[in-house]
Amino acid sequence: MRSAEPAGSRIGPEPERVALHARDVQFDWSGLPVHWIPGEPFATHVLDVLHLLLPEGERWFVRLFSEALPLIRDPRLAEDVRGFIGQEAMHAASHQGVLDHFAARGLDTSPYVDQVEWMFRRALDDRGLTGRRAQEWLVERIALTAAVEHITAYLGQWVLDARALDTAGVHPVMLDLLRWHGAEEVEHRAVAHDLFAHLDGRYLRRARAMLPAAPILFGLWVRGVRFLLAHDPVPAKPRLRDWARAARRGLTPGIVGLTRAVLTYLRPGYHPSQYGSTSTAVAYLATSPAARAAEARSAG
Amino acid sequence: MNGSRDAAGVRPDRMMRGIDAVVAVSARLAQRSVRRRPAVAAVHRDLALVVTEVRDEAPEVVGLRLARGSGGPLPPWHPGAHLDVVLPSGRVRQYSLCGDPADRTAYRIAVRRLADGAGGSMEVHALRPGTPVVVRGPRTAFPLVSAPAYLFLAGGIGITPILPMVRAAAARGADWRLVHTGRDRASLPLSPGATDLDPTRVWLRPDDENGGPPAAADLLAGLPGGAAVYCCGPPPMIDAVRRAVPAGHAFHAERFSPPPVLGGRPFTLELARRGRVVEVPADGSALDAVRAVAPDVAFSCRQGFCGTCHVRVLEGEPADGHSAPGKMALCVARAAGDRVVLDL
Repeated sequence: MRSAEPAGSRIGPEPERVALHARDVQFDWSGLPVHWIPGEPFATHVLDVLHLLLPEGERWFVRLFSEALPLIRDPRLAEDVRGFIGQEAMHAASHQGVLDHFAARGLDTSPYVDQVEWMFRRALDDRGLTGRRAQEWLVERIALTAAVEHITAYLGQWVLDARALDTAGVHPVMLDLLRWHGAEEVEHRAVAHDLFAHLDGRYLRRARAMLPAAPILFGLWVRGVRFLLAHDPVPAKPRLRDWARAARRGLTPGIVGLTRAVLTYLRPGYHPSQYGSTSTAVAYLATSPAARAAEARSAG
Repeated sequence: MNGSRDAAGVRPDRMMRGIDAVVAVSARLAQRSVRRRPAVAAVHRDLALVVTEVRDEAPEVVGLRLARGSGGPLPPWHPGAHLDVVLPSGRVRQYSLCGDPADRTAYRIAVRRLADGAGGSMEVHALRPGTPVVVRGPRTAFPLVSAPAYLFLAGGIGITPILPMVRAAAARGADWRLVHTGRDRASLPLSPGATDLDPTRVWLRPDDENGGPPAAADLLAGLPGGAAVYCCGPPPMIDAVRRAVPAGHAFHAERFSPPPVLGGRPFTLELARRGRVVEVPADGSALDAVRAVAPDVAFSCRQGFCGTCHVRVLEGEPADGHSAPGKMALCVARAAGDRVVLDL
């Protein structure tokens, strides 16, 4: 039997781990302008990639973690995984709502989305493996998820802290979606890691998963920005200096912060609870219009 | 939601073929990992405790102190945390911790007797010192986080999670106020724990001395700018306050377990893949019935909306507002007829 507390847990004045539950959020996109960060097409499209990339990826997380449930021999972790699955399912549905709104506006995202779908449903599916080999590939994909979840937790904390988005006149419903999602990513940031630690936990296997995860995620992001900029009312090509400028103004994450976050993951003593703030996430969810309406819906 | 499209007709482009090659390496490495992967070790979370003290906190309210038989330290907790308590009958009930988190040797809970409840509170009231009980947790579903100021609102026994929050806020030197409401003074248990800290910050508000139950606006009167509202009490109170808290103020309330099934009709579920038949009782959910034979079935929100437990229907008709066509939301849906066959 293992110790009941994960390696990274500390007893601070505020809880790092909270009970996870999905929130029944709804968003109305009818008034969403194309450039919902006014006058900032580049920054808008960097963040719009989320809607193209995430729904398939999050549905993949849901399938993967549902498959992993029978392997879990820790009731508290199983509870966390169930909360994680519901939250990811709502993230997928919510970003899909924006994607559907894009389609209604006449933007055909299928050239990008179909390829992403192929990646998650073919390349990252069970690859025809069965039995013990299928289980080992499942554990490997959970290691990949843990690596990606470290990056999404970094991005979640970034969007919660990005004060520049408050002053840039960002469309309030979109800002709420991004921060609700970011807050739940921070809330559940330890789940994939704890699941991997439970099923395997070896350092090398955890760390090596970041090697493909970070470049693939980055490549898909660049491709998404390129696609969206090409389909902008004023078509353009992405330039490195556009990113540097948007990041400097605090409208997108920057290269330095992202690189540092990725390197952090390679530390042997790494645990997700050492980074990000559950308190910030909880405080945002307590004011988020979508999360507040969701709680009222659940109660009613 | 677009979850059903088939990737079969899509031809991967160069980037995707490259990613596929990288993923193939990962999949091969995974097969090499199998040899030395340690077996998954079971983690036991049940705490075997003993009731070490029983005291009357107020009429109909009993306070229990739970500790290890050895007196050893217990897992830490934060204000707002609760325990799952396994009662002698096997029922599991959740109770907020109302003691001091710094006291690592014991957990304290306080429970009001509900004569018309499902029986859990009656069982707690029958517990005597020396009785062993199993608990799970603690779990934080009602976290206290830092805010410029706090307004704590407690209805009756809803004071239990609030009291440790009040103590923590006071210890941090925060600006806090507590309003404790109830039918009469006798239904305001545990409030001395707060009035002893600073009586000027506590408003005890029995309905019978104030011309009836308070309106949400009364409870929120004089809400300081930026204050976070923490509320625990009967569901109608929480709901009314939730609607009245102005935008921009943080509102925190305890999450409730899914409501009991009322007025349900029993029906039969056939799990086609497993070749099992389960009976769903009038007062139970399809999910609970399925879990009895398939404990690993995936579910999450238990309210129908997240879609995790939605299963394809092979025969029969589910009845509820959440199931997509051809699917059944196990957590909330019931059968329109007597029997549903599921692809499970």
